Amino acid sequence: MTIQINQGLPVVQASDVRQAAPGGQLSLRADVVVVGSGAGGAVAAYELARQGLDVIVLEAGPYIPSTAFTEDFADSLETLYEEHGSQTNKDGDLLILQGRCVGGSTVVNGCVAFRTPDFILDEWRRDFGLNDMTPDVLTPYFERVEKHLSISTNGPHEIARHSQVIKAGAEKLGWSAKPFQRNVKQCALTGHCLSGCKTDRKQSMLVTYLPWAAAHGARIHSDTRVTRLLSKNARVTGIEGEVVDRHGEKVADIRVEAPRVVLAAGAVQTPVLLQRSELGNDQVGRNFACHPSFYVGARYPQPIHPWRGALLGMYVDQFMRPEDGGFVLEVGGLGVAEMCMISEPGTGQPYVEFMENARYNAGIVTLIHDHNVGEVRWRGDHKTIDYRLSKKDFPAMMLSLKAAIRLHLASGAEEVFLPTTERLAVRDAAEIDAAVGRIANQPHALRMVSYHPQGSCRMGADPANSAVDASGRLHGTEDVYVADASLLPTSLIVNPQVTVYALANYVADRMLENPRNRP
Amino acid sequence: MHNNNPGPDEPGWMSGLAPLSRRGFLRTALLGAAALSTGCASLMRRGQVAPPRYQHLSEDDALVLQQLVRVLLPTAEHGLPSSYSDVPTLQNIDGMVGQMSDQTRELLGLGLWLFERRPMASFQFSRFSRLDEPQALRYVQAMQTGNFVERGLMSTLKTLVCVNYWRDARTWPALDYHGPVTELWGVRRLGNAPLPQA
Repeated sequence: MTIQINQGLPVVQASDVRQAAPGGQLSLRADVVVVGSGAGGAVAAYELARQGLDVIVLEAGPYIPSTAFTEDFADSLETLYEEHGSQTNKDGDLLILQGRCVGGSTVVNGCVAFRTPDFILDEWRRDFGLNDMTPDVLTPYFERVEKHLSISTNGPHEIARHSQVIKAGAEKLGWSAKPFQRNVKQCALTGHCLSGCKTDRKQSMLVTYLPWAAAHGARIHSDTRVTRLLSKNARVTGIEGEVVDRHGEKVADIRVEAPRVVLAAGAVQTPVLLQRSELGNDQVGRNFACHPSFYVGARYPQPIHPWRGALLGMYVDQFMRPEDGGFVLEVGGLGVAEMCMISEPGTGQPYVEFMENARYNAGIVTLIHDHNVGEVRWRGDHKTIDYRLSKKDFPAMMLSLKAAIRLHLASGAEEVFLPTTERLAVRDAAEIDAAVGRIANQPHALRMVSYHPQGSCRMGADPANSAVDASGRLHGTEDVYVADASLLPTSLIVNPQVTVYALANYVADRMLENPRNRP
Repeated sequence: MHNNNPGPDEPGWMSGLAPLSRRGFLRTALLGAAALSTGCASLMRRGQVAPPRYQHLSEDDALVLQQLVRVLLPTAEHGLPSSYSDVPTLQNIDGMVGQMSDQTRELLGLGLWLFERRPMASFQFSRFSRLDEPQALRYVQAMQTGNFVERGLMSTLKTLVCVNYWRDARTWPALDYHGPVTELWGVRRLGNAPLPQA
């Protein structure tokens, strides 16, 4: 019997385990263990549980109910994000933001919902033998998640001041600009998406697939760090891990016996877990991409109040296809704490003046179709994310930056601040080439952020260039599946959440096609 | 393992620092700076007693950060809340440091130690915290345009200081920033989405 859960989630937390397993050992059984509760894990858990499988979802992060969200970004980084918001690449110059809480990154994302572009699917079929990755096969999956998550196009009231101003600039330049589609229901226009939606309007996994999976009997555990997959005679037998409370204190060891495991811990942790378990081929961890992004800020003559209204209103897709440049410009709002991090307007007086005029600022996020040049690796006692902006991608990054500056200026900006560690600014279109030309591709020269780590367990028909087969199953294994952004064979250029939902559903269906995996 | 990410061309001295890279939020910047400095990590303030004002910062940490606050946030001159008397920027940093993992906290301590002692002839090799304000500002600017290690360290410390001033609600009215609004506006919670019908 399924019972609708109207508010919150039934989650077994470290505090519960402390009481229930005073001996420090928790042993469980299930048909399927799902590692991770974000976009991939939640969808897979629901799709499997509703078919009658006994599912356990294990989430490393804490369970923070939406009532406890603070709408304070600096505070939210500490409570809701991986490594308290300080996860970086090996060089320390690319911040890689991922959610680390029940619901994963879907709790803290900007709600932007794109289907996988057709030209990306073309690449996946052509280069990786993924013959099912056609619009025809995937459209039912896209339609299903779009319906489940109330995805719709921003209405006029969801185009905030920053987006209105920059939309007018795009029209002036004759560039194609469109309102975003977002997974939000009756958006309250608080502008606090990145700190979690306090009123459950963002249709994150926290208020959709996870309570639905729980309604079908799935058990959800937070504070549970899986350290290793267990296997015997080439078959997976379960997982082992630790339950750790919010102060970092280990509460118990946990062992779950299960004949199949779905990995959905995200594109950083999934390959790390496989490497720690010595499972998978040499492609596990390779081919990491992340959409390195700039947030290009600018000062306008009129107040913008970039924190007011829907966080993300519209985007420019004029240059989306590789032959047109291979980048997307997204107009994004931000709060005061974020503003401290994104620009270099000078030091001392100039900086204070910049912040004093924060209400006059607007920003554009750049996204590129980066090459899969990175690698995630477990080093025995820590992970490394080896990713540098490659020579191949630097030109696209600079093109996207030039376009963002042009767009700001066409929109009426007085001064555009380049996303560099050195103070660089442009006030006139004639200065763009010279200013951008000063930027060298060196560590700590650029201020970059990644919101979309992906590709580290690439899906493909050939084990020589992929870690996971066309059904999502780890090459060389029978019962280990991957269902998160690790799967993406190439970077998407657009926000990946809808692609991940659709692929997780697709992988769950492929699992269920196998009679051994049915209840 | 095959290196599929050669990255941009870089001088040999820099690639020599790469093996020093470990983890955490200052990473190469701090450890690279360690290699470049005349100092030594073993001289860190382990075992020193923190002054009662701060739970997690040592007195030396606080001196460096206090000077940074003075240089980076001359807010009172703009009619904004003072970055030390009105807004407890240092206490806010102390609170943030308390949330950090031991490793990150250790790296931050190392970064501050190195920043304080980074030898520069143009500043008579003085410690950063002992420079007068104009000199301290020039020191910061020199770090911002220095090598990648210096730039990375400076960006991190600048962000740490500035976020911990502007994250404080007392600074928001002057910016016309609304901060948290849901409770203020009385926005209703929607709860979970209804279970889909098969």
